[in-house]
Amino acid sequence: MVDQKINELAQRLDNAWENRRPIAPLRDSDGLADVIDSYAIQTRWTEMRLERGETIIGRKIGLTSKAVQQQMGVDEPDYGTLWGSRYFAAAHGRAEVPVDLFLQPRIEGEIAFLMGRDVRGPHVTPQEVLAATEAVALSAEIVDSRIEDWRIKLVDTVADNASYGGFSIGAWDHKLTEIDLRLLGLLITKNGEPAAQGIGAAALGHPALAVAWLANKLSSFDITLKAGDIVLSGAVAPTLPAVAGDVFTLEMLGQPPLTVMFT
Amino acid sequence: MLSTQEQTLQQVVRKARAGRTTLPGKNADRGVDLAGAYQIQAATGRDRPLKGFKFGLISAAKQAQMGISTPLYGCIYADMIHSSPVALSDFIQPRLEPEIAIQLERDIAPNALPGDTQRAIGGFVLGIDILDSIWANYKFTAPEVVADNTSGGGFVLGPTLFGSLPGGNLRLYLNGQFQTEGPVAALGDPVQKLQWLAGQVGGLQAGQVIFLGSPAASIPAAAGTLELVDDAGHVLIVKLTG
Repeated sequence: MVDQKINELAQRLDNAWENRRPIAPLRDSDGLADVIDSYAIQTRWTEMRLERGETIIGRKIGLTSKAVQQQMGVDEPDYGTLWGSRYFAAAHGRAEVPVDLFLQPRIEGEIAFLMGRDVRGPHVTPQEVLAATEAVALSAEIVDSRIEDWRIKLVDTVADNASYGGFSIGAWDHKLTEIDLRLLGLLITKNGEPAAQGIGAAALGHPALAVAWLANKLSSFDITLKAGDIVLSGAVAPTLPAVAGDVFTLEMLGQPPLTVMFT
Repeated sequence: MLSTQEQTLQQVVRKARAGRTTLPGKNADRGVDLAGAYQIQAATGRDRPLKGFKFGLISAAKQAQMGISTPLYGCIYADMIHSSPVALSDFIQPRLEPEIAIQLERDIAPNALPGDTQRAIGGFVLGIDILDSIWANYKFTAPEVVADNTSGGGFVLGPTLFGSLPGGNLRLYLNGQFQTEGPVAALGDPVQKLQWLAGQVGGLQAGQVIFLGSPAASIPAAAGTLELVDDAGHVLIVKLTG
């Protein structure tokens, strides 16, 4: 795909993000078919935002569950960039999120990594990731799609920054780097009722394996996963739609809960 | 045996509870004292399985307002213990309090020593006290509220048993919005409270749950998501339906 087209599609996604008006799937409207082009659009879009003062505070990994991969007809995850303007700090475990910022938001429960040292692929292993991890926390990711009705295929969601919306993080805990993250359970309560649950193994078999995949994938774009980067390692529980007034509480054994209120 | 005046008050309470209606309280001329009110309370619940007790009016300031110098207590019957979701339509004028409850694992005799009382504590849990009263706007005399089971409505227990009393504050949120908070320290010494209560009611039994009273002002109940959290991050989430 020529640079001009990459630019045009990145601009279209940015307009949809800014105006909160969804657009048609890019595979339909513009014949986007190659995921390499999709990553180029995503990269260009991030550059456009950085020029306007956006910050990169980490990465997110998507399509980490077997069920979602099968639904999308893919056999590997994808990644996007965590933009700092959509980080919702949780004061005393509570974050308020204005629903008007989004087009069609959903919430996911994830295990987040805070990198303590740089990690650069290829050939990074999960054990290397754990050794380079400063702390782990539970995280609420708000996913959102600029594509109408979430009618996404791999090429659409990759271009659309892996359907990034925003995120909040619970308390960072160094001890969690020393437990078997596959078995770490997460419960999401929505408006007072248990609504979704899962364990770490839902993210590619092991959340640290998802982060290792990311480090290796980034190296193919000549990017290093840096000390201080936050990585959301993929949903471990089913995705839940969110509207104004919804209250979600995410709980993990031994950790203080994280409550996200959509206002 | 209840006196004629006590029988009259018992009938008034029974009828209002059954019909879910309120009555004007603060009537000082009912001819029933606090001891008589506790007799009414005990007699009224005689046929229901007892699961524990609640403390009410634990603040010295509120006790002074009511002209008493000790807390009040009420009975918790098995049918008053709920789990989420809780239907507010089952109550007359429900209000909510953030509390800590003690789960007993041994009996406590009326004259138990502090060490035995301590050993009877199986653990502590977060608890929601859903107050309810037949007395309009919770305006009542001490005998009136005691005869009405010390505003006992419903109780919800948290998912985790703690080995010791948590520190810091208890906070209540409704639909994500902060409502009220109070310090756990205001609950006083649990062992002393259990000993006092065991003396009042002729002993406590293993398996019973004792709600220690609220360190914060109660709030009116409304449908939605209720969260009770402490400073350590323990949480009790209850869905309240209309």
